[in-house]
Amino acid sequence: MSSYPMALIAEITHRCPLHCVYCSNPLEMARAESELATADWVRVFLEAAQFGVLHLHLTGGEPLARKDLVELVAAARHAGLYTNLITSGLGLGDDRLQQLVAAGLDHLQLSFQDSREDSANWIAGAKAQSHKIALAHAVRRHKVAFTVNLVVHRQNLDHLEEMIRFIEELGPDRMEIANAQYYGWALANRAALLPTRIQVERAVEIVAAAEKRLSGRIRIDSVVPDYYAQYPKACMGGWGRRLMLIDPEGHALPCHAASVIPGLAFDSVRDHSLRWLWEESIAFRRFRGEDWMPEPCRSCDRREEDFGGCRCQAMLLTGDATATDPTCSKAPARGLIEDILRVGNADSSAIAPPLSMSSFAELERQTQALWTYRVNPK
Amino acid sequence: MALPADTSQPRFAPGCRWGGSGTERTVLFPEGVINVQGTGRRILEACDGERTFLDIVEELQANFSASDPARIRADVGSFLESLQEKRIVDY
Repeated sequence: MSSYPMALIAEITHRCPLHCVYCSNPLEMARAESELATADWVRVFLEAAQFGVLHLHLTGGEPLARKDLVELVAAARHAGLYTNLITSGLGLGDDRLQQLVAAGLDHLQLSFQDSREDSANWIAGAKAQSHKIALAHAVRRHKVAFTVNLVVHRQNLDHLEEMIRFIEELGPDRMEIANAQYYGWALANRAALLPTRIQVERAVEIVAAAEKRLSGRIRIDSVVPDYYAQYPKACMGGWGRRLMLIDPEGHALPCHAASVIPGLAFDSVRDHSLRWLWEESIAFRRFRGEDWMPEPCRSCDRREEDFGGCRCQAMLLTGDATATDPTCSKAPARGLIEDILRVGNADSSAIAPPLSMSSFAELERQTQALWTYRVNPK
Repeated sequence: MALPADTSQPRFAPGCRWGGSGTERTVLFPEGVINVQGTGRRILEACDGERTFLDIVEELQANFSASDPARIRADVGSFLESLQEKRIVDY
């Protein structure tokens, strides 16, 4: 067991002004009234730094929805943490951006849903694109690391090259080409999001060419979507090995999806120290080490590389959180993935055109056969 | 991009900085950490945006006078080039 996590993921709210169909937040979200107070987070940051944590990821929902965000960044920086803000950019004008940078923000990661305005707004369920573009220009005027996170899937992969060039123009230091992962809303909407094999193969070529072309200017990070890979992802760097997530109410989780695993109770920063949560809590201990592994994982040469894949994905797809992640080619349940891919590839013409509606409610009505938009916590 | 020019002034890219404490210095950058020790650490500590690449190479050549100066120059250059590609260092 690592003595402490390398990074703390602070899911400071589940509130968000967007409705992205690929969102991996849990379907049951924390209500605004139950969110941790500023003082709670400040204490957590101090503790994290003392514990040895190096990176803090401020995320959500939309972290900008928290009115105390500047204060939180200042507290985190003062505690000695490297601050990453993972944001849609909605709610960030010049003034507040300036305040965040002055407070010590190290890195801002801005999401984009597409290059094309109609498609981007359709995927997000909100007219967000022009604001994001304006923000990207504003970020460039400040001394902060800037990453654009482009979420890709069936509905936009056909114009990946165009999207990459669009992002280049925004001038980030880094670009993440993030294939949608199937948790939360993305799982519910998987049929509309799962790319075809041809899209995935073409994307690999396009990204390789872009990496070469942009070498030294923009760093590109991307991963083949796990359904199409031979081996599973080393989810979170392993259960309870490198990362700790704190949800808006203060529960400590090994990852954002862990609440799908039945029988796991999550302890809270309101009641326990981070050290205790990391070392002693049931949730963090549950899948550490190898004792929980079934075959083939238990004897597999790759077990220290990918740890048998994702527990939450195993749970969601097989009903058994200890099972080998079905995306692994050696998984007993690999057939499940093959079936899903077969159905997904049989219907390559299922790319739906962007719709623009006068209201969000109208948009939901028109697209209800296609997907379900993320909604806010009640 | 390529190897640093002699007159270039290598420095941390925006948002990249030192972290860690005491003997183990780490370089913090977006969503990542690199542990640097020994020569790597010395090189990065010299990348203050003022000293030129040539300055840095000459400092190291003076400190490691037993080693082949051309080799030192090549190693420093490729070390910085690899960090530039990761967008950790600018020059």
